[in-house]
Amino acid sequence: MSSQLLEGLAPIAEATSRSLHVRGVDKSFGGVHALQDCTFDVAARKITALIGPNGSGKTTAFNCISGFYVPDKGTVMLGDRNISGWTPSRIVHQRVARTFQITRVFKRMSVLENMVVPARRTGLKAMFWDGIQGHERVRAERLLDFVGLSQFINDEAGHLSFGQQKLLELAASLMAEPQIMLLDEPSGGLNPLMIDRLAGYIRELNQIGVTFLIVEHNMGFVMRLSDEVVVLHRGSVISHGPPAQVRADPAVLEAYLGN
Amino acid sequence: MNRRRLIALAWPVVPLLILVVLPFNGLGGFYLDLFYFTFTYAAMSVGWNIIGGYTGYISLANLGFFGLGSYIGGLMLTHLGWPVLLTAPLVGLICALAAAAVGWVALRTRGPSFVIVTLAFTFIVQFLALNLKDITGGSAGLYLPLLNMDPLLRGALFYYYMLGVLVLAIAVAIGIRRSRFGLGLIAIREDEGKAEGSGINTSLFKIVAFMISIWFAAVAGAVHAQYLDYVDPDLAFELIVMLNMIVMTLLGSRGTVWGPVLGAFILFPLQSYLVYWLPSTIAGEVHLALLGVVLVLVARFMPDGLLVTAQKLIARRPPPRWESAPAVAGEPPREGGAR
Repeated sequence: MSSQLLEGLAPIAEATSRSLHVRGVDKSFGGVHALQDCTFDVAARKITALIGPNGSGKTTAFNCISGFYVPDKGTVMLGDRNISGWTPSRIVHQRVARTFQITRVFKRMSVLENMVVPARRTGLKAMFWDGIQGHERVRAERLLDFVGLSQFINDEAGHLSFGQQKLLELAASLMAEPQIMLLDEPSGGLNPLMIDRLAGYIRELNQIGVTFLIVEHNMGFVMRLSDEVVVLHRGSVISHGPPAQVRADPAVLEAYLGN
Repeated sequence: MNRRRLIALAWPVVPLLILVVLPFNGLGGFYLDLFYFTFTYAAMSVGWNIIGGYTGYISLANLGFFGLGSYIGGLMLTHLGWPVLLTAPLVGLICALAAAAVGWVALRTRGPSFVIVTLAFTFIVQFLALNLKDITGGSAGLYLPLLNMDPLLRGALFYYYMLGVLVLAIAVAIGIRRSRFGLGLIAIREDEGKAEGSGINTSLFKIVAFMISIWFAAVAGAVHAQYLDYVDPDLAFELIVMLNMIVMTLLGSRGTVWGPVLGAFILFPLQSYLVYWLPSTIAGEVHLALLGVVLVLVARFMPDGLLVTAQKLIARRPPPRWESAPAVAGEPPREGGAR
């Protein structure tokens, strides 16, 4: 599987990975301060988990990084480039891809079409003339094979099961040849078998150089998979470090369990 | 190339050839007129379908640009002496550029807000046409120099012109549907946020789709001004033109290449015969009521339109016995996707 995967994802391995830096980001909605002076780093080629109780600002942080929200204050740096305020599509073209908390696939499009939408080719010829080209199809087939969906390539994506849609979303985001992947609750709603498969895919991708930032509630999944864990509480970072260190941090226990 | 694919590619040539030779077989003025209007509506509906069907943005600005195209074409003729049939593509381009500016603002809204913003645009242009009397002639309208030719030859000229525009519209619609640009438009229709998060510059895609859509409306508007040799604010911005475009597209099947063509070829001749047979005192009202009834019936009983509904019915039909065996030995035939 691994050699086939490496062949399919060669452009990722060739790319120079960049780290992600969130610096002093504030984001409010009316009187609700979702993020307050939020600061953390996502190291290149590592798996970083972003955890915290419900309403701690994890998805808001995700949306600020991926361009769906513009921070009120602070910056999001991709390497040495300030990407705060950029549109989501522009950020995707910087090789930062994301998945959504509630799985979003184009339900009435085929699995193959879902794969081709995020493909990286741009320019007038690619947009208006080329259609779905051979190498794009090959790449889509390899990625679908990687996540075990190749037999559904011509089916409508809406006909796939929930777990298969999650895998399709992951595979489709890989078509954008990302250096950094933001996964919003990837294990949510999946059965234990599927969670193990997903963890395996994430590890394999990380081994070929993809950086991950994962928002997750499943602590077993997080602790098993992550190199670093960032804990958010009421919009601010209260702990940051390796899983074992974070697990023993009294501030984290207090945030989750109370006094 | 297998036989089925060859048929799929070649079948449009047959109706096209029939339409090309039709005027040579003594087609009378009534039929030339009927076909001219059918082609016009079909081309505009195919154009509207690019923004309304592929992209899912219900634009009522196409009527505003149809009227604007009528005026720009008419003014170019009366002031500069440039023949409308030659300048129509240029008029389309001017309106498409204006549409980029309108779309830059309007396409920030979506759903009902977008419908209202585009309707407001149409009313604003109509208001300007009515009040800029020194330029447009106000409510008295603008009289265009007549085309000095035999009436039948004139009818045939407009027939072929709009047939050409229709063929171009279909070719563009097919090209877009097969391109990654078209895939992006459909992705926007399905889930705009997800499309943006997949790397599609949704603002740019929507504006380009809107411009292409408007080009066809404006060209049709310009040609129509010359066809009537006259343009005034009531004729140029008649709401029934917009209603026809939408109902034809919905009836045929929104979001498909051939749906709007089918809708136009069914609905316009039906309307014409209805208006022809009914007493003139009630023809207009009955015609409008009929459109409303068709719209309600399609929305209630056939929301996918004729073409998609027919495709679904055909797909649901059990396969012939010789096709029922699994393609691969030992592999059961799958139905209903992966669930």
